[in-house]
Amino acid sequence: MDEPTLWQRPVSRRGFVAAAGIAALAAASGGRLTRDAFAAGDAGVLRYYNWAGYVNPKTYTDFTKATGITVKKSFYVSNEALLAKLKAGARGYDLAVPTGYMVAILADEKLLEPIDWSKLPTVKKTIDAKFRKLPFDPQDKWSVPKDWGTTGFMYRTDKIKERPTTWKQFFGLFKKYPKKFTVLDGSPEVIGSTLVMLGHSYNSDSPGELDAARKFLLDLKPYVHSIDSTTYKQKVAGGKAYGALGWNGDGAYVVSHTKGKAEYVVASEGGEFWVDSYVIPTGAENPAAAHSWIDFVYKPATNVQETSYTYYGSPLKRALFGTVPGSKPLLANDDVFPAPKTLAKLEANNISPKGTRLRERIWTEFKSA
Amino acid sequence: MRRRRGEGRAGAGGPRYPGWLALPAILWWAFFFVGPLAIMAALSFGEVSGYADVAFTWNLGNYRYLWDPLYGEIFLRTFELAVIGTGVTLLIGFPFAYYLARYAKNKTFLLFLVIVPFWTSFLIRTYSWLIILDPDFPLFRALGLSDAVGRLDLLYTTKAIYIGVAYNYLPLMVLPLYAALERMDWTLVEAAEDLGDGPLRAFRRVTLPLVLPGVLAGSLLVFIPLTGEFLIPAILGGERTFFVGNLIAQQFGEARDWPFGASISMVIVGAMTIAMLLYARLLSRQEQFGG
Repeated sequence: MDEPTLWQRPVSRRGFVAAAGIAALAAASGGRLTRDAFAAGDAGVLRYYNWAGYVNPKTYTDFTKATGITVKKSFYVSNEALLAKLKAGARGYDLAVPTGYMVAILADEKLLEPIDWSKLPTVKKTIDAKFRKLPFDPQDKWSVPKDWGTTGFMYRTDKIKERPTTWKQFFGLFKKYPKKFTVLDGSPEVIGSTLVMLGHSYNSDSPGELDAARKFLLDLKPYVHSIDSTTYKQKVAGGKAYGALGWNGDGAYVVSHTKGKAEYVVASEGGEFWVDSYVIPTGAENPAAAHSWIDFVYKPATNVQETSYTYYGSPLKRALFGTVPGSKPLLANDDVFPAPKTLAKLEANNISPKGTRLRERIWTEFKSA
Repeated sequence: MRRRRGEGRAGAGGPRYPGWLALPAILWWAFFFVGPLAIMAALSFGEVSGYADVAFTWNLGNYRYLWDPLYGEIFLRTFELAVIGTGVTLLIGFPFAYYLARYAKNKTFLLFLVIVPFWTSFLIRTYSWLIILDPDFPLFRALGLSDAVGRLDLLYTTKAIYIGVAYNYLPLMVLPLYAALERMDWTLVEAAEDLGDGPLRAFRRVTLPLVLPGVLAGSLLVFIPLTGEFLIPAILGGERTFFVGNLIAQQFGEARDWPFGASISMVIVGAMTIAMLLYARLLSRQEQFGG
């Protein structure tokens, strides 16, 4: 009985369908309501708009104890939902955590306030230089990295004999074990990983390459257990599925909840590398509190506490991170901190608007097949 | 509901109210129904520009894009879901409502049981089926049924979607049916039987025509929301089966293609309008016979 019971299940970084419905309702009710729902202009409150289950609950109480600022939480299920909400005029959020490509889009859409680095002394001291000036924010003007990770696959070592290391081998298992493998409910990840397997870019918008990915996926569809971004880690940890296309944090979760009878793999052909970053949405009423939060979680001890909860990589200098008790097993965990040579092959999501429409049609066909 | 054409305005004998009393209702309707619908219609002729903006280009591009066997199949599948879902809830709901209205002793309690599920969120009720349809559900295990249920292979299939639909929509069917059957004057049936009709014939010639408006009302209450259903397929179908509702949700969410989503919605609105007109016709004909 190593399957976590339903009420203990932490929700995935990418949230859950239930929240999608609620978010849709909230979006429908419009931005003005959101502003009113919060006590406007209260300097003692941080309004944090985030992925569900992406902060260690202890960090909230630690932060309030240290600063006197209370955190009001609300959640989104996808980068696109965050964009839709802000685009529709929702105001009053002080802090949000989109993925890199969405930071660029939000900045383009003038939906962000600039970061004031003079208010981030701890960050300046502790951040690893390679997380400065990332391609989606070359001036470090709009964002501060929170976590980073990879999109790969996981499988149960006790359920199958194979030891897949490539996308080709992984997708091959779908036919060998029908309806025992899940894929993420996201077109960039599933289509992108297929493109990488076929030798193309994760971000390709070439119709010919996308058509090849489409054919492959339609052929794969009958063997897919489910298309799931939210509960797949429980399915694999509980043995209902033998493996999944998913994120490294969820992979590390499965490994730790099966007492090591699972493996997370960054495919040798490549795949996605992502960075989620703190941003301050336009109309934030308490940007000072947002800066306090960012600076607070960059304290090495707090940061280790966060990583031990999310299982996603930390942007801190390794040496500093390593001084904190309890950080050693995390640093040694190749799923949380993959080797540099693994990372070298990965690409960040950078899909053009044209590619998005082509992909959405393929995605509809895949789900509909 | 006995009003006929031409009697629409306050009847000659009835009290007269000043017309402006309707103003709040009309404003409400214009602001919250006509307005959004007009925005949606306008959107459907636009196109996406850049990542999240809409350009009002006033062309039929989205409708042309929708004219594609892939989307045709999704529309047909949705229609099938709505028809079968309505049929199944009617088949289960009618005998129950009939029993409830005609024979049941503890009507209040049974009606209460029909309404109780509404006290919990639709979402939670649907999620709970994930546990029930799982072969490892403790009850199945205790009864030694786990293997049998496992062979049925319910979870994340179309079967699971239909179970979820039948369960969630049943009260919407039962309540109007019950309301219609409750108003039945059963002595009419007795009279028909006294005059030589068998029970089946009496049902067909007396009961059915009298409760038909209830049947139609219940069917519409189930049919119309089913054409936009997306949560049950998403949860119980494991996102493996796609309906129009899921397609619309995808366009407004992940795909960021509001104009295309709007055009799909407009097609559904059009189809539903036709269905409603047919319903109104059926009903008026019914009243000519039944009234």
